[in-house]
Amino acid sequence: MSEITRERLFGFRHAFDDPVTIVLTLTALTLFLLAPVLILVATRAANSTSDKRKELWDRYRSWIWLALFILIPVLAGAFWTIFAVATLSFLCYREYARITGLFRERTISLIVVIGILFIAFAALDNWYRLYVALFPLTVALIAIGGLIPDQPKGYIQRVGLGVLGFALFGSALGNLGNMANDWNYRPILLLIIFAVELNDIFAYICGHLFGHRKFVPNTSPNKTVGGALGAIALTTPLVAVGGHFIWSGTALDTPVRLLGLGIIVSIVGQFGDLMLSSIKRDLGLKDTSKLIPGHGGILDRFDSLILVAPAVFHYVNYVVGFAVGQPQQIFSGWQI
Amino acid sequence: MEPWDLQPAHDTGLTPSERFRSVRRESGLLESLAHQVCFSLLRSYFAIGHRLTIVGREKLPTHGPFVLAANHCSHLDALALGAALTPRHRERAFPVAAGDVFFQTRVTSTFSAIMLNALPMWRKNCGPHALADLRRKLQEERAIFIIFPEGGRSRNGSMMPFKHGLGMLVAETNVPVVPCGLTGTFEALPPERNIPRPVVITLTIGDPLQFPLTANDRTGWSEVAASVESRVRDLAGQSRAA
Repeated sequence: MSEITRERLFGFRHAFDDPVTIVLTLTALTLFLLAPVLILVATRAANSTSDKRKELWDRYRSWIWLALFILIPVLAGAFWTIFAVATLSFLCYREYARITGLFRERTISLIVVIGILFIAFAALDNWYRLYVALFPLTVALIAIGGLIPDQPKGYIQRVGLGVLGFALFGSALGNLGNMANDWNYRPILLLIIFAVELNDIFAYICGHLFGHRKFVPNTSPNKTVGGALGAIALTTPLVAVGGHFIWSGTALDTPVRLLGLGIIVSIVGQFGDLMLSSIKRDLGLKDTSKLIPGHGGILDRFDSLILVAPAVFHYVNYVVGFAVGQPQQIFSGWQI
Repeated sequence: MEPWDLQPAHDTGLTPSERFRSVRRESGLLESLAHQVCFSLLRSYFAIGHRLTIVGREKLPTHGPFVLAANHCSHLDALALGAALTPRHRERAFPVAAGDVFFQTRVTSTFSAIMLNALPMWRKNCGPHALADLRRKLQEERAIFIIFPEGGRSRNGSMMPFKHGLGMLVAETNVPVVPCGLTGTFEALPPERNIPRPVVITLTIGDPLQFPLTANDRTGWSEVAASVESRVRDLAGQSRAA
């Protein structure tokens, strides 16, 4: 393993090399310090019920854990980042399989889990061709695995659910792991995750302030056109400014391309949210699980990120390229 | 195309600790793996440590639902019965364990659920709905229950009368009850000991009994309990003789 790879995978000393990482980490810390004051003031002013107050504090405590789950691996190194992304993929797939009933199809579930493991390996190995090959190969394996019970009844359903699960939580979400192969992955990942989560909050706040017209009343009755447009208006400049500092002097560093990146994050993020709303409404559920107090399930929290990951990866990869100059096939390419 | 028949897990909407204590719990891939590993290790332990002999294994139905009912005089009983099942059976096997012993704290309930796939039976305030849930689970999920109808461990090794909860699970159904006689577990791990002694354990499995015509009421339940109790008593005697 070359020195540059070792430093990228495990070199926590480089955690704050990029100013954007410092700014984002400090912003997150400031928000966590300010939030209790805001919660206290808001609940006093609104004379909230004790249930509402408890929910807000649950949410706040859970956010601290979630932030640690994101910040520590990203700052610690690419190895830990890819490990955390794989964990997230597994947890999301687990919830998806349980709410859809796919978990009872043990063969298909096992193939999806193995597929996610390989996706994580391909990202860790920086072997992009394997990553690309894994999607059609895993889909083929799922189609074969569906034959094993020798029961044509329900074949399309179980195979279809398996392919959707792998596509969303293995292949699509796995792009976050792929991004960690870039030398300067820390600010990129933090900016995207930060922007996607803020995008949800912006949509919520703008929806309350200027939302009148319902956006998709059958899918998600609380979403409004005002909220969606407000989120785009606020998230886009945030991503564009952050992106300007991260990719300064590269082909991406033009106003149009940076705004394009921001619009992608905001719009695709909202579609990810709606996608999970659709899945839950189809199943007649409110939350995907009760794993995170105040939030629901892991999927409820990270739904917006699922579709953003491939969109951002391919946009940036097309314009400037990811992992330029980084050694490939770190582990699989060893010569004996 | 057939209508969509995949349903969310029955335990959807429960917090992790509620889920471990719920009879609606359904295992996922990792938990199934944990049960399989745990029971494979137990099987080796019983084979080496207690020279577990199983008489009449061919009498076990090939698939669930069925109920294994045995005499109870030691904590080893449920483990020995679980270890006697084939890997195919273990996937759906649930030892029904005392809630106040195995599901009292978060640590014990997590262990009982993940490693043993146990379901809680709350002895003090177990209403009829708890047994109705188990009865439904048995049939809908084609489950295999390992139960001890005496309602607790015998403190002196001699069998106590069966309670009629067993009848509430199987009366008026075709679910077979497989009577089992266990010997040696009391000598291996009596209530006052913490570490088992290497005593030989014998498990004798009897012919399955079915109660489709027995009424699902108090008299019927007592009938079921009495008939299974007499079979288990015989089998325990046979085990001892063997």
